[in-house]
Amino acid sequence: METIVGKERVGEKELGVLFDGGKVRKRREWRGLKDTLYDYARWLYIMSILAKFIAKPRNIKAMFRYRWMANYLATPHMVDKFTMGLRDEALRIVHTSMDFVVYDVASTLDNIFKGDRRTGNDTEFSKRCVLTDENAMTAFMMGFPNVKAILREVPCMFVANLLTQYSSTHYLDVAQQFGLAGDVCPMPEAEAGVSIDDDFAVLGCCAVQVNTTCDGSLMGNGLIAKRLEREYGIPTFQLVAPMRHREPDVQKYAAEDMKKAIAFVEEHTGQKWDWNYYFDSARRVNDATRKRMAWLEINSTPYPQFVGAPFSLYNDTNYMGNCGRSKLFPPVDAKILKYAEKGYREKKMMAREYRHRAIIWGVQPQYCIDMLNWMVHCWGIVPLTDMLSMINTRMIAEDDTPENREQAYYDMAWLNENMIMRNRTHGGYKVLVDELWEFCDKMGADMVIMWEHMSCKALTGMHGQFEEQARERGIHLVWVCHDLCDPRVFTRQAIRNQLNDYMRTVMREEPLDPSIEILPDENAW
Amino acid sequence: MKDLKHLLYFENLLQSAHNELITQAQNEGKICVAYVCENTPEPLMNLGNAFGVRLFAPQTGSMDIATYYMTSLLCETSRALLERAIEGGFNFADCIIAPDGCTMMNRAVENMELLKTMGQGKSKFFHQYMEIPLKGDENGVQLAVLQCTNHILNPLHEAYGIDISDASIRKSVEEHNKVCRLIRAIGDYRKGDKPRITGYEFHVLTLATYVAPKYLLIDKLEETLRELKTRKPDGKGYRARVMVVGSEGDDGGFIKLIEDTGAFVCADRFCFGSLPGRDPIELNDDEDALTQVCRAYTYRSQCPRMMNMEKVYGRKEYVSDIAKEYGADGIIYEQIKFCDPWAYERMLGSVMLRDDYGYPVLSVDRPYNISSSIGQMRTRVQAFVESIEIKKLRGGEK
Amino acid sequence: MPVLKKLLLKLLAIGISLFAVTFIVYFFNLDMKLTSAIEPFLLKHYDNMPRNAHL
Repeated sequence: METIVGKERVGEKELGVLFDGGKVRKRREWRGLKDTLYDYARWLYIMSILAKFIAKPRNIKAMFRYRWMANYLATPHMVDKFTMGLRDEALRIVHTSMDFVVYDVASTLDNIFKGDRRTGNDTEFSKRCVLTDENAMTAFMMGFPNVKAILREVPCMFVANLLTQYSSTHYLDVAQQFGLAGDVCPMPEAEAGVSIDDDFAVLGCCAVQVNTTCDGSLMGNGLIAKRLEREYGIPTFQLVAPMRHREPDVQKYAAEDMKKAIAFVEEHTGQKWDWNYYFDSARRVNDATRKRMAWLEINSTPYPQFVGAPFSLYNDTNYMGNCGRSKLFPPVDAKILKYAEKGYREKKMMAREYRHRAIIWGVQPQYCIDMLNWMVHCWGIVPLTDMLSMINTRMIAEDDTPENREQAYYDMAWLNENMIMRNRTHGGYKVLVDELWEFCDKMGADMVIMWEHMSCKALTGMHGQFEEQARERGIHLVWVCHDLCDPRVFTRQAIRNQLNDYMRTVMREEPLDPSIEILPDENAW
Repeated sequence: MKDLKHLLYFENLLQSAHNELITQAQNEGKICVAYVCENTPEPLMNLGNAFGVRLFAPQTGSMDIATYYMTSLLCETSRALLERAIEGGFNFADCIIAPDGCTMMNRAVENMELLKTMGQGKSKFFHQYMEIPLKGDENGVQLAVLQCTNHILNPLHEAYGIDISDASIRKSVEEHNKVCRLIRAIGDYRKGDKPRITGYEFHVLTLATYVAPKYLLIDKLEETLRELKTRKPDGKGYRARVMVVGSEGDDGGFIKLIEDTGAFVCADRFCFGSLPGRDPIELNDDEDALTQVCRAYTYRSQCPRMMNMEKVYGRKEYVSDIAKEYGADGIIYEQIKFCDPWAYERMLGSVMLRDDYGYPVLSVDRPYNISSSIGQMRTRVQAFVESIEIKKLRGGEK
Repeated sequence: MPVLKKLLLKLLAIGISLFAVTFIVYFFNLDMKLTSAIEPFLLKHYDNMPRNAHL
């Protein structure tokens, strides 16, 4: 691939000056006057979200009740990680997307503690809440305007690990103390640990669980449901997402169970399904799909704009957590697209050189997901897209007709089955292996960064096939092993070193910014 | 006790996945349908001119090549099967049917397909992947019917002309039930203080009915049952009665190891076991046979991937019921190393059986081939057996 | 008018001071340095809490 050379970055030339081996950075980045002031203004905005949050006594109470809340002390630190080295449109895109994710998570937390029996205890509000899995599409909630979907696991586990690297280790230890084997995926393992440790908020009139992402999630749900039902009297429903999701002969099964899930929510909340609200949500889902495809199209050009962890996390939040229900997302999508189009037109780049174009495949390590940004600045490798963002591209029915009302169940089931990440890790080797090579061709990638989450049996089960087929196609496949949310198995530097070693020994290249090749962040958040 | 006349015969059958009865059946012109999961309805693979065998990999030593393809963190059963397939050990099969039950087994079969390990010289060979229900409900039954039609019956009929009619299914169920009733009758001799068959002997017989053509085993099973009627038991030659619950149990060495410590394996609730795998399927004339078979498999499945809470609680209730029926003093929850579903099921099951049902429980994981870990396992089981004995001596309640 | 001018000047001074203080906090990462110092105390508090830990 021909190297694309751009302009020298304004402000800090070497990003390594920001690190001193401590828990947090020495200081924030000088990005030139314009972008530093912009970043400062966004920092003030994040502070205002946090201030609004802690102004409520119930949220302070929650801070002292739930161990995982301590991770939220690091919220601005997380945003700094994702904006490292960025200027111009790239900086604005990340802030637009990630600041909104921060806002969304803060709202989720606020709702959780409002209804939580141990903190806010607003019983009337709690009666209108339905607990949902963190690894599940909330499509079954698309027609309930007055019911809140509470993704209570997200702040405890997923987001917490984006904030600080050791957020899950206590819960993993708890689960293992109770006899769970240590080789299972740490995500459902940590969720199980939170449940065992009685560190979940308790609210809601019912809960809907889904077998996505994987065997581990399916099994962990049973454990969590047992406590919900037998100790807290919260009934649960297990919604099926068939494994062979591309096959036509499983769709009726999925659609029928979707009807039952909706009936379950109606029964326990006393709220009726609203078709108007559903089709509004469906239109927003389609809009989000179109925007995502537009971003991907821009990323297929020599000047990708919306890339890396923010791309993945924003898609996660919008597609999965929101699933068309909130009106707040479309304007954010539009703003991001506007920045992306401007950045593309003006040929803006995130680093002074783009040497390689990479598809990021596999399951991302939550505590090291900012590695994608690091990769751009250290080695000039642009992450064009990632596996978690390669989700549904099919438009769902959005007009309210009798036929579409029946089709809607199939559409919701389709969304449910094609949950982020799971739509690739399950459903046969074609969706996991064959389609990767198609994306490489389509997006002009010369490299694949393969996140090998060692406990993800669905992915590692195809290790040899990836290796052999990449070799056949002449694609540089860089294995980067990790254990998702447990940094004790692979530290961040150990993860980065896998790429460093490949770039030096195989590609025979020198880093763009040697000051960040080795980062002293074992003790960092 | 006097040796069972045919035990050695059955043991020899289990030395190789490609046993002599498979060869005999294929020489008779029959089609060998290979499968990998207990959730695939066996009668549907024994229709007409076909016979089903569940793949296993006895005498597994190294799994290096399979480990390259699947890494060392996938369950050893899936890797052992892939290793055997790569070696050519399953080339006898005429087709393979794999449900997307657990991810690892699914990946093993996908690798078998991509590496072209089976079907050499067999132009009609096919791989089929099917969905199986995730819950025990009528929606799941309807799914099972459709999946079995699309991925078992139609392919068998189209490729090999197998008779897939309702009458054919009923005939197959009747033959299946014959074997089930024999096994269950033999298994009943494990009950009571003076069992007439050891857990190991029973395991060998049961395992054979999974991995060899059933119709060729009936004579010897019937003879064994007759033998047991008059077999003189050894007296109470054991220290504790234990029930084994868990994942794949296709290694008789594991059962033998348990019994060598002085325990008696009185009940087998594991994959490749008789409970519920050898429960007969009672058909009526009110509904087509296929639906009834699918309903039986959907509702009686004890596989941990069945996720509705009735199943989650029901599996523990089932273990308790079986333990009562067979007089178990304790329960061994076992899983093959790196099995995700059983990792969770073992944790929840062992805690619930202990706390809610009052049973002493041993919770272990083990390698696929127990011979690589005999010392460690023996120590664990011995300690467990001693703890049960001590509890009994102290007059402890269950 | 002088009163208004005085008020505006005062507001400007307050604004500039606020900006200076917050910018210093922002640039030298003092917010995160503070919260990272608080974290160990919180963790100790969680460790000492009684737990109803069971499956």
